[in-house]
Amino acid sequence: MATQQKMEEKVDVVIAGAGASGSTFAAVLAKAGKKVVLIDNGPDWQASDLISSDLWGRRIKPAGPPFILEGKQVAPIGYHGGWGVGGAALHWFANVPRLLPNDFKIKSEHNRAHDWPIAYEDVAPWYDKVAHDIGISGDAKAEELWRPAGRNYPMPPMKTFKNGEVWLKGFAANNIRMVPAAVAMNSTDFKGRPGCIYDGWCHVGCPIGALANPLVTYLGEARAAGAEVRAWSTVTRVLTDASGKKATGLEYVDRDGEKHIQPASVVICASWAAQNPRLLLNSSTDKHPNGLANSSGLVGKYIMTHFTAVTNAMFDDDLEPARGTIGGQFMSYERYSKTAHKGAFGSTLFAVGAAAKVSGLTGIHNSRPELFGADLAAFMKRAVRGYTRYTAACEEQPKIENRVELVSQKDEFGMPLAKITHNYDDNEMALWTANLDEGMKIGHATDAKEVWQVRTAMPAIHLMGGTIMGTDAGNSVVNSFGQTHEVPNLYVAGPGIFPTCGASNPTYTIFALSLRAAENLASNWGSIAG
Amino acid sequence: MGAEPKPLGDLQRRVFLKGAGMGLFAFTLGGVEILMSPGEARARGVPFRLLKADEAETLEALGETLLPGAREAGVAHFIDQQVSVTPGEALLEARIVNVKPPYINFYRAAIAGIDRAATARSGKRFAALNATEQHDFIDALRQNKIEGWQGPPPGLVYFVLRSDSVDVVYGTMEGYESLGVPYMAHIEPDKRW
Repeated sequence: MATQQKMEEKVDVVIAGAGASGSTFAAVLAKAGKKVVLIDNGPDWQASDLISSDLWGRRIKPAGPPFILEGKQVAPIGYHGGWGVGGAALHWFANVPRLLPNDFKIKSEHNRAHDWPIAYEDVAPWYDKVAHDIGISGDAKAEELWRPAGRNYPMPPMKTFKNGEVWLKGFAANNIRMVPAAVAMNSTDFKGRPGCIYDGWCHVGCPIGALANPLVTYLGEARAAGAEVRAWSTVTRVLTDASGKKATGLEYVDRDGEKHIQPASVVICASWAAQNPRLLLNSSTDKHPNGLANSSGLVGKYIMTHFTAVTNAMFDDDLEPARGTIGGQFMSYERYSKTAHKGAFGSTLFAVGAAAKVSGLTGIHNSRPELFGADLAAFMKRAVRGYTRYTAACEEQPKIENRVELVSQKDEFGMPLAKITHNYDDNEMALWTANLDEGMKIGHATDAKEVWQVRTAMPAIHLMGGTIMGTDAGNSVVNSFGQTHEVPNLYVAGPGIFPTCGASNPTYTIFALSLRAAENLASNWGSIAG
Repeated sequence: MGAEPKPLGDLQRRVFLKGAGMGLFAFTLGGVEILMSPGEARARGVPFRLLKADEAETLEALGETLLPGAREAGVAHFIDQQVSVTPGEALLEARIVNVKPPYINFYRAAIAGIDRAATARSGKRFAALNATEQHDFIDALRQNKIEGWQGPPPGLVYFVLRSDSVDVVYGTMEGYESLGVPYMAHIEPDKRW
């Protein structure tokens, strides 16, 4: 535990976390002339650290995260979390479907969950701006089957491969229209970054920068504009003044165990949906006895995930499953209506045609988890040629019981660990089952020789919620910009501010909301920073 | 201010992959640290760092039951080397499924639980069971049907050890080659595991 304390020179903005959201804030504010410091608990990863190997790819993920996981379907931390500069966006799959208008009005339209305090139209321009900032390939016009019109993507769709194309017949037979997947990958050279080479190793980090990770997008821009990144530094508290109405900076501990105080005019917590609540709850004072910005008692509440219904298939043809990208080749919002499946509530998004490697969590072997020994070896020999799968990503509804809370056990920095409790309910089970049932129909309508699913557990992906946005401190932690209701110069950024989560992968929305918030902050700097 | 990130071209990428020595780990032999694969470490009799001989014997038997070839590929040496480095450096699947470091504790508890249960069932440690008994034991373990089990959750033990076996047998360049799958169709690093 730290015993010394070093006072750093005051800066304009200090950001806890150098992942997708923190990098976006940093880029906008540094380019606006602000002095920005990002503080991150892990290594300062470089492109050359992103080795194409499922084993080596584990280095860029958390090791012993400070979370205790409870519940029947525990929160996704290890595979989906980030560790170090770039955060989880260093190894994201780069699928970039957007939330649709119906995601913002669930309370109004269905008397469930929450409305967002903003509408799709408020976010749409930022989706379009992000697409042209970081580079997205796809067919925006084709997506307008389901969403309002917007700008075209800057690049045409990616190449497709047999491991994705073989599914199209099955979807067509079930009246499900598919369009080219929108992905934050380069189908052509873009802004000095090369086009993708389709080696399928995206999930362990793209070292050539064809995939839009923070190092080659917003974080690179932030650094070029003068932002400083302090790696191997763990933020332990947000500091406030005596009135409790103004954030004054961050406390963090460096790799050598030295404690630092980083004063700043604006503080941004961008440490992911799990860590931001932990940090706010650990920042209690006499003015904020239950944790910072927590008069509502909602800090840590409404943790959400997506869950996946995966359909596997084996073909006689050599589909070259390892080729392509880890993102989808095709996507569909055809089941995105909240009531698309009878007897279940929530949206579903289809993603089809991800590369499948032979090891790792998403490896081919885990499609048949019951096989071992000679049976596993025989399966692998067939599957490395004929295997493919598609994923139906499903929406979880927010539940206040799903939460992050502090426990008495502490980490090496003296900071309490956090317990994350997460369970699905009968509605989620019904949505999962409906998608699996439909998946069998889709699979059997292809030319596959075998179609199967693993129904023993509901796989959870994408952690969201915990610091949700709303109209006031009575129903939420932050406003639509991520600005806390109680401490106006304190922001929370990232998926934690989603009040509901739709079924679309969250990172595109993280970028869009962060860009919107950062530009608002830059425009209103005087009134917010004081 | 940090260094400006520079995307790598194909040629540069090959170079750094070669430099990374894909899948080679630092094993200590004769007081000298040598980069080699776990299979080479086993073949050259590299002493274990943390595992005891009987623990390594059980791990090898478990690995071989889970996936033929895991013993020769050095599953015990892989795990032993990996549990001896800091959690942040570890490449184990245990890291991804939220096993709490230090990871040696998980493996020791799993091995002890398996040998205890095997002895209770058959009067012999797992490594001394015949192939059919070993298969039946693992089949019961994965289904949480080991009576009186004491150890980490059986399903987690099965998942992690099975993943370790897949890692050393298939998760390498040689493993891909054995399956006839191009490791990286467009970029072939010179150095192979």
